[in-house]
Amino acid sequence: MTNEEMFKELSDAVITCKNDVVTAAVEKARSEGIPAPEIIEKGLAAGMNEVGIRFERGKLFLPHVMMAAGAMEAGVALLKADMPADSASKKLGVIVNGTVEGDVHDIGKSIVSTMLQSAGFIVHDIGRDVPLQKFIDKIKETNADMVGMSALMTTTLPAQKDVIEMLKELGMRDNIKVMVGGAPATEAWAEKISADCYAENASEAVIKAKELLL
Amino acid sequence: MANEYFTRMGDGQRIYMTKENIMEDLEAGCADASELGKIPELSGDELDKLAEIVMLPDVFVSVAPGMEVPLTQDGGTIRIDADQGNSGTGIPASRMIGCMMHERAFCQDTIELGHIDYSFKPVKPIISHECQAMEILQQNTIVPLFYGAMPNMGLYYTPDGPYPNPADLMRNFKIKEAQESMENSAEHLIRDMVWIMQKMMSSGTDGVNFDTTAAAGDGDFYATLHAAEILRKEFPEMYIEVGMAGESILGMHGEMEYDGKIIAGLWPHEQAPLVAKAGANVFGPVCNTNTSKSFAWNLGRAVTFTKAAVIQSPIPCHVNMGMGVGGVPMLETPPIDAVTRANKAMVEVAGVDGI
Repeated sequence: MTNEEMFKELSDAVITCKNDVVTAAVEKARSEGIPAPEIIEKGLAAGMNEVGIRFERGKLFLPHVMMAAGAMEAGVALLKADMPADSASKKLGVIVNGTVEGDVHDIGKSIVSTMLQSAGFIVHDIGRDVPLQKFIDKIKETNADMVGMSALMTTTLPAQKDVIEMLKELGMRDNIKVMVGGAPATEAWAEKISADCYAENASEAVIKAKELLL
Repeated sequence: MANEYFTRMGDGQRIYMTKENIMEDLEAGCADASELGKIPELSGDELDKLAEIVMLPDVFVSVAPGMEVPLTQDGGTIRIDADQGNSGTGIPASRMIGCMMHERAFCQDTIELGHIDYSFKPVKPIISHECQAMEILQQNTIVPLFYGAMPNMGLYYTPDGPYPNPADLMRNFKIKEAQESMENSAEHLIRDMVWIMQKMMSSGTDGVNFDTTAAAGDGDFYATLHAAEILRKEFPEMYIEVGMAGESILGMHGEMEYDGKIIAGLWPHEQAPLVAKAGANVFGPVCNTNTSKSFAWNLGRAVTFTKAAVIQSPIPCHVNMGMGVGGVPMLETPPIDAVTRANKAMVEVAGVDGI
């Protein structure tokens, strides 16, 4: 079996969302001498990407995404001993994610959190109707690389801008990426308030977070 | 600029496009819907017709004489009084005045009474007030008058409701527990919606509009279908309208079924037969607007999805046309050029029975 075929098998294993299938594929790849970082990056992570795409297209559902993420974690755990000490537990980045104050919408934001977590980010979901100061406090507490802000109403959308202004005033803006989303948010809005990116949906949030943080 | 036509982006931004670019975007939007839903693409003639509509020189366009369709208005009673922050006009007016204006001035064929919070659950503590309002409105109008609200199953999860928040459980890999929470919430939601509509029916409402169905995913849709089924059995003559929240049913649970079919991931043309099976009279398909794409792209996509739903639906389809759906740009007050073009396209190309 070529390495490419092995990567495909690993990727397909993640898409099955089953722990035993993934761990069997990882053991097989190890026995064939494929380096652990390649098993993860070209096999397991590629599988998770495909899971994200299928979720977005309505072919896989949220429980499947989490099962696939769990299976991938089981696979990565098997490779821990083969990984360089500083990379075994390395995550892609730390993201604080929440729905801004005054806005009680939770579901879309939660899906974004779930997809980011599944993709390998450490996500601190601080809920909905979050006081703006809490975004700042959580960013400081977790030394976050990115903050995600959701708003589902035109009345609450300006709070995204307010948080960005608070970050600027506190001298924190240069050290953190800002992602905005939610039904009334648009690319033009993100540009207007100087956010780093706008994500149309959960899959796009993962893609843009990777672009900005990796 | 002579060969370019004024149009919009999905976020309402004014742009100019050539006929060739408009056609390209119409085709691309149509192909996207076709690929996602596994449904037929529009024909060349239909795409030409859409391009013609996009390129019409007038700000306000309409359907050809004889092609008028019924207009069903949700939230009509509060649209006048509510201010811009609530998508309204901010003119002080009671719900009754709002209702009568929609009946007598705005020529709506059906309207609804709804309360400002617009979800079923919060109606429970104010049911007497809603029943009284319905009785008075029925005495002052002749238009079919529904009671409308959103199933909004998210209100049944913590911190708003009694059941554990599935999103929190899911992130901790407690998948079974998350699914159980959704199942319990769905059963509770069914009880509440049926109870509320029993009360409203006793106060003379002509029917129910389940609006923004499936906003909380497949459990939300499951609950609505079952509530419709129960109400149809109890009230054989009542009007039941089921309008959707989005084009696809979000798979939050992933395994819920109706009529032997997994409901997560269904597209409008697959939703319609289930809504009819549950006993509804009218189905309201939705296609979401992508704000990063042009109006032409969104229109091609929305018309493709909607036409497939119209073909598959055993009951009339009244397509949802408003901010961010049906090809209409995502703006608080959607631009009338795009709104009227999208409506014309839905009637003349998608063949909808109503708006």
